[in-house]
Amino acid sequence: MTSDILVQSLVSGLLLGLIYALVAVGLTIIFGVMDIVNFSHGEFLMFGMYSAFWCFALLHLDPMLSLPLTTVLLFMLGVLVYKIVIRKVINAPILSQIFATFGLMILFRGLAQFFWKPDFRLIEHSSVAGTLNLLGIQFGKPQAIAAVGAIVVTALVYLFLTRTRTGIALEATASDKEAAQLMGIDSEKMFALAWGMGAACAGIAGGLIATFFPIFPEVGANFILIAFVVVNLGGFGSVAGAFWAGIIVGVVEVMGGLLVGPQYKMAIVLALFLAVLMWRPQGLLGKA
Amino acid sequence: MTTPRQRTEQAFLKLLVAVLVLIVLIELPREVQSASRQNLMILILLAAQLGVAWNIVGGYAGQISLGHVAFFGVGAYTSTVLLTHFGINPWLGALAGGCLAALLSLVVGWSCFKLKGHYFAMATIAVASIVQIIFTNWSFVGAAVGLTIPMDETGWAHMVFDDKTPYYQLALGLLVATLAVNFAIEKSHIGYYLRAIKDEPDAAQSLGVNLMRYKQLALATSSFLTALGGTLYAQKELYIDPNSVLSTSLSIKMALVAILGGAGTLFGPVVGATVLTLIDETTRGVFGGTGRGTDLIVYALLIIGIAVYYPSGLLGFVQERRERLRARRARALIDQEAAA
Amino acid sequence: MLSIMQRLAKAGMLLAIVLGSTVASAQQEIKIGVIYPLTGPAASTGQELKNALDLAVDIINNGSKATPGLPFSEGGGLPGLKGAKIKLVYADHQSNPQVGASEAERLISDEHVVALIGCYNSNVTQTASQVAERMKIPFLNAESSSASLTARNFKWFFRTTPHDGLFVKNFFEFYKELKEKKNIDVKRVAIFNENTQWGSETSALENKLAGEAGIAVGASVAYPANSTQLTSEVQTLKAANPQVVMESSYLGDALLAMKTYRELGLSPDMILANDAGFSDTEFIRTLGKDANYIISREVWSLDLANHNPLIKQVNDLYFSRYKANFTGNSARTFTGVMVMADAINRAQSTDADAIRRALVATNIPGDKLIMPWKGVKFDETGQNQLGQGILVQIIDGKYATVWPFELAAHDIVWPMPKWDQR
Repeated sequence: MTSDILVQSLVSGLLLGLIYALVAVGLTIIFGVMDIVNFSHGEFLMFGMYSAFWCFALLHLDPMLSLPLTTVLLFMLGVLVYKIVIRKVINAPILSQIFATFGLMILFRGLAQFFWKPDFRLIEHSSVAGTLNLLGIQFGKPQAIAAVGAIVVTALVYLFLTRTRTGIALEATASDKEAAQLMGIDSEKMFALAWGMGAACAGIAGGLIATFFPIFPEVGANFILIAFVVVNLGGFGSVAGAFWAGIIVGVVEVMGGLLVGPQYKMAIVLALFLAVLMWRPQGLLGKA
Repeated sequence: MTTPRQRTEQAFLKLLVAVLVLIVLIELPREVQSASRQNLMILILLAAQLGVAWNIVGGYAGQISLGHVAFFGVGAYTSTVLLTHFGINPWLGALAGGCLAALLSLVVGWSCFKLKGHYFAMATIAVASIVQIIFTNWSFVGAAVGLTIPMDETGWAHMVFDDKTPYYQLALGLLVATLAVNFAIEKSHIGYYLRAIKDEPDAAQSLGVNLMRYKQLALATSSFLTALGGTLYAQKELYIDPNSVLSTSLSIKMALVAILGGAGTLFGPVVGATVLTLIDETTRGVFGGTGRGTDLIVYALLIIGIAVYYPSGLLGFVQERRERLRARRARALIDQEAAA
Repeated sequence: MLSIMQRLAKAGMLLAIVLGSTVASAQQEIKIGVIYPLTGPAASTGQELKNALDLAVDIINNGSKATPGLPFSEGGGLPGLKGAKIKLVYADHQSNPQVGASEAERLISDEHVVALIGCYNSNVTQTASQVAERMKIPFLNAESSSASLTARNFKWFFRTTPHDGLFVKNFFEFYKELKEKKNIDVKRVAIFNENTQWGSETSALENKLAGEAGIAVGASVAYPANSTQLTSEVQTLKAANPQVVMESSYLGDALLAMKTYRELGLSPDMILANDAGFSDTEFIRTLGKDANYIISREVWSLDLANHNPLIKQVNDLYFSRYKANFTGNSARTFTGVMVMADAINRAQSTDADAIRRALVATNIPGDKLIMPWKGVKFDETGQNQLGQGILVQIIDGKYATVWPFELAAHDIVWPMPKWDQR
């Protein structure tokens, strides 16, 4: 195991982890604001990927250029999902909420298969295709761009939540819904916003990874467990937590796979996750 | 207000009906010729039993475990490995599986019960996933290839049958036993404490209830029973692999079944299992052949619909309706008396 | 507490469902149950197989002038049963073994099918065929390659396709012939497999035979299916510096793997894959140029038509309908249902045991098949003894047979040009 293989893996893990972070940021916003476990989050990622694909295939729009469109589409989808389904289970027991989002997960996969068939798609020859070689480390250009995109979006989200009025209102609703309402913040709007943002983040992640990852109706399944782990590890509701946790998980997965064995890579991630939870039950940056 | 005499009469009537229903259920498979209908009934009973077992810790104690498949898988694998590698009878193997699952549950409880709500649920998913990964890579238990149970020796001694009826009876028996355990817990002081832990954990703790001990007890019981279900599954399907007995989607189904029917009620999971299994099999039978995913869409819409409109489960919904009716009648009575 | 009403309602519900009677089916048509993954992770393959089945049954029932050499192409159903037509009853197993078993039950007891064909995924074939064995209905498997399926001592299970044991043997025969006839000495390989039943079995066989052939295995890497990335796995392979990477992956992972090889610069002299994802129609279509020079074990190839005109005829018909060529999977499924039809025809009956005996007596010569096999003849374990695998290399975006050398349509390209030198 030479040192450049280790460094290479570290870099790959970092790039991967940043993608995980972006997916998890969306998930953690939803959790943080309304305490709902969104089992269908992987499907927002999937729709983001399909959006990038169809723009590329039908409109010949490069994935980088179609990203804004993907963002808007997924934001609208998130709000729609909130208004039609989630709003009705806000005050229901946790179990019903799980049930509802789980149903959405199956529904979205079924719809994707119905409309677009189960075939695998790939976006070839996008503007970011190719490999890069920096200081002897090789990595794919799409992965690097996706990672940069993830950092940018996470930073924007963080700034939005801490510096803008709407963002602060969102955070306020997350910490204490009743108090926020007393201050005149419309919870309804905040919830819809949370879902829109959450879906949009996952959608952007999807649009970014569509440049190098195969696209098919069930692709959400590959990411959802990891997304949950990242959110938990970072602490429910904490965007910064999701960011750092994502990176940690990505690196641990790749390095663990390399050093112990790829068939155990998920087990290592999960074991680390459990260890952290036992030591710090609210996650790394979660509220105690 | 019911008099003691009325209550005894009611209890007697309930017992009578229960016995009648039980007789009907036992005789059912003989009336039904179609093997696939019999299979459907067995699937319902298995799903119901798992839901009832889950209910002990998920419904009554309010600890939402989404990793229960670990116990199911441990049960299935223990009895199967003991059978195929050591020739040990599956009846004994089932007990061994149950005990191992209970042991595992102690580990799970010790590490996870400090966690709250979503964190606990995620931790249970993580534990179950780790178990699945271990089994997938462990050649002693067949790794990814799985294990097959030989079909040549049949009969009650071997827990392998050609006909469906004995499987049905076994599943029914296990379900009744699991329901009995639930009932006993519900009526005992354990049940009382579990409900306290679910609804007012801080108050309970301040009154000196050892939260950890009772949660652990609930989980151990639940895991033992779930493991028995695992053995029954293995003996019926005669083939297990990490995908079929250790996947997270099974954990979700166990919880779903209880939620759908009404978590925290005795028969809720049974109702939920019946409805869910029927929906599952029917949508696949009617729509599945086209391959367009229509059956998934219908299934999903039904699940979402029930989650949204019947949040306390179907049984819960029915019970609430009756409560409201009773309340209305009581009020009418009071109004009448007041007017008189 | 549960009231009387609620209890009665529950019992009533169960009774109502269960006492719905089934209607006996008419005898004009012969129902064959077909269990394949029509949704779920293997759905795109499942659809392909469905196309093949529909085509075969259409030829049998309605005839086809374009394929005169094919049995039953006169149409009009099965002559041995006075022109009874075949009706396929489809079931979706969603790549789930328990669902496969349930569907098998349903097809047998509710739909009263006379036989079953399925299931592509080896672990689903396992459980579904078990149901058939218990219920004494013939089960024909055309695509599952797990060797253990015919090691169960079953009487009602028949498999037309060769299994992994034979396919892996083919690999090492290939290495031997490479040395003898092409002067290429393979001394060092790496094994890369998906961590499922099929992948693990293949890997175990490959490790074993490599040891016997004196070929060094630099790395044997197993990865969990549906990974989000394969970087550390490919790193490990690269570090072992193999001449050949022997890979077993389904489509999604195969695509991801190839992209990762390219990204990390893993350019062995040969990538030798065990079919599955690598021979799926999507593989070339999605990877484009990057798919070139990859070699896969296959069971079928279009250029075999050069040696067997029947193959071209049937493929042209398939192409005219579905705008795609046959693949090894769809060709085998097509062959499977043809073999079943042949057996039922000879049985001249829809009685399960008669069909079973007819299957046992099957003896179809190679020139009546669209496969590069010597024929179809089952041994006592139900395995077709006359099957064979081939190796194809992707050249200019098309599969070209390169082994056995006698059937080759193209010379093998060795070593594989590096990714950035294409």
